[in-house]
Amino acid sequence: MPEKVYVGPYRPQLVEPERFELLVEGNRIIDAKIELGYMHRGIEKLFTTKTYMQSLALAERICGICSGIHTLCYAQTVEKLMNIEVPERAKYLRCVYMELERLHSHYLWFGILAHSLDEHKAFLKIMVERERVQDLLEYLTGNRMNYLINTIGGVRRDITPEKAEKIHRFLNESKSLSDYIMELLNDNGDFTRKTKGVGVLPREKALEVGAVGPTLRGSGVASDIRKDDPYAAYDELDFEVIVENDGDVRAKALVRAGETYESMKIIEQALDNLPSGEIVSERKEPKIGEEFGRTEAPRGELVYYIRSNGTNIPERVKVRTPSFANNFAILEMLRGETLENVRVIIESIDPCFACTDRVTVVDAKTGERNCMCLK
Amino acid sequence: MGKISVYRFLSAGCNGCDVQVLECLVPRYKLAELNVEVVSNPEEANVLVLTGGVNIKGREELIKVYEKINPPKIVIAVGNCALTKEIFDKGYPMVGPPDQIVPVNFYVPGCPPRPQAIVKAVTQILGAKLEEKEDYWVTPEGFRGKHEFDRDKCIGCGACAQVCSSDAIDIIDEGEKRVVRINYGRCSFCAFCQDECPTQAIRLTREYHLLTNNRGTTYVTNDVNLLECASCGTFFFPQPQIDWALKRIIEEKVPKYLEFKDEILDAMKLCLKCRREIMNVKKAKKTLAELSAKARGS
Ligand code: SF4
Ligand code: SF4
Repeated sequence: MPEKVYVGPYRPQLVEPERFELLVEGNRIIDAKIELGYMHRGIEKLFTTKTYMQSLALAERICGICSGIHTLCYAQTVEKLMNIEVPERAKYLRCVYMELERLHSHYLWFGILAHSLDEHKAFLKIMVERERVQDLLEYLTGNRMNYLINTIGGVRRDITPEKAEKIHRFLNESKSLSDYIMELLNDNGDFTRKTKGVGVLPREKALEVGAVGPTLRGSGVASDIRKDDPYAAYDELDFEVIVENDGDVRAKALVRAGETYESMKIIEQALDNLPSGEIVSERKEPKIGEEFGRTEAPRGELVYYIRSNGTNIPERVKVRTPSFANNFAILEMLRGETLENVRVIIESIDPCFACTDRVTVVDAKTGERNCMCLK
Repeated sequence: MGKISVYRFLSAGCNGCDVQVLECLVPRYKLAELNVEVVSNPEEANVLVLTGGVNIKGREELIKVYEKINPPKIVIAVGNCALTKEIFDKGYPMVGPPDQIVPVNFYVPGCPPRPQAIVKAVTQILGAKLEEKEDYWVTPEGFRGKHEFDRDKCIGCGACAQVCSSDAIDIIDEGEKRVVRINYGRCSFCAFCQDECPTQAIRLTREYHLLTNNRGTTYVTNDVNLLECASCGTFFFPQPQIDWALKRIIEEKVPKYLEFKDEILDAMKLCLKCRREIMNVKKAKKTLAELSAKARGS
């Protein structure tokens, strides 16, 4: 007799807060449904009440973890509307800041992965080392999160040689953290055992549900907006798109681990080849019309659509965040899995942060609910 | 108080705060030494840490969680969303801030507050001592923290309120005073006010320990004198802004207007309503001449 199991409701993002309804038989999941809206804040509506500049602060609060990439994607779309040419130096600086963000976001994900695998030693080690990225971002931008470093027309703070020196020093330290993570994934220990073959998302399914980012790349598809539709200075920097073919949780982890090295490579190159000049261009009036913009957020492709009526307040802003796209991949990955793996599968797409998530098991006969905590 | 077991609850925030709360667990902040742990079940907790401004779907959940927390049931609202809903205030699904739904004992303003601020807040609440020796207790140069006014520089123009991303700045005219009031409990620390202020009168300082148990205390204010309309006598415009504008017009922009300085000043001394009432130029000229004669005579 199949019974219903609820996971959720809390998923702290823009429109992705979600509740999963799982239909299980014994311990096996036969079907999964999704319900969204628990963290909804009406952001798209709020966009139409703020000026283009004010909305920068709003865009970054869609998600605190990938806040920087939201402002970048938003700013780039507005720059198209305003026909602004961003200074070369700013383009390189944007790459530096955004890759630092990818590092902190990926490391956080590894921390959470370790946590959901009950690997507490690894969790603490990763979180401790990760503080370095946070301290560095705070030093560079003035805030640990929601750093508001991108602005319309460029960036708000420059990187002086002294700051660059600090970043180089940090990169050396962070390599050892990435090495540690790689080791965890490859030493055939608990990490491998608990993630290998779990939550497999086959290539065709990944494409069919429209998965993006590391979730898609872990299923063997080399898709990365930084390469496919380069923005900022990515077309002038040399890096690899990491792809794994297994489609399981471990493959997604390997993709992210590999990407941390690529991020470091990008930052080093960008700092070494930093063009001189201004860091921000002047703002102009927006044209009447609409524009699209997309970037590669730590979790995958992020899309902004903005329609302008020529005033300083946008008429419509639409945001498609990567986790939204990936939620549907979770459903695919959950089918046929066992309940023990629910937590790690949901975590594997890195759906920002799961804070109060829990599974409610509903006994189909008695209707009795039992809570099982995820965190 | 023995063991502190914290349960985290987030509804309708950006989750930046929640990550900061999590970062407090890193050994360098030594919370474990104070017997503080984070639990995953509200029934095991005696302290509730709230982040986010709470939306319609989160309300019921929050009430349920609150009821399960054990005594002494201390509730700490972390971050500005949990204090005022901040930038999401006017979002249609928002029903918070959380203290509208459950009692809240302490607030830790910030967007997000540094983990250091949260750790210190917790130790303060516990009455424990905290040694802030390490480097990371000091904010780096350029940190965007609590605001500070340069009282001599502020001209009361309200440009900061215009550009503020979170409606955190109010311009309040009371009698002969204009109050510029920044609510750092509603602020997103974007520093647009600092960038936009024409006289560099606002500065975001490196101060970040902002714990309070009273939501009415998160303000930084400045006041300037308002000018009386020369014609009808209402207070209508900040005196320092007039001085500043006049100085700019004459000294920086169009020096040849110097000989009309008094006339310009007289025109500026009229409130908008009176200015509108002067329907034609002839009458305006006459009024201006009269006014300046009056001014010189006295
Ligand atoms: S206060 Fe700021 S950091 Fe905290 S949840 Fe709200 S927007 Fe995010
Ligand atoms: S920093 Fe200034 S402009 Fe920005 S939200 Fe705070 S008060 Fe408003």
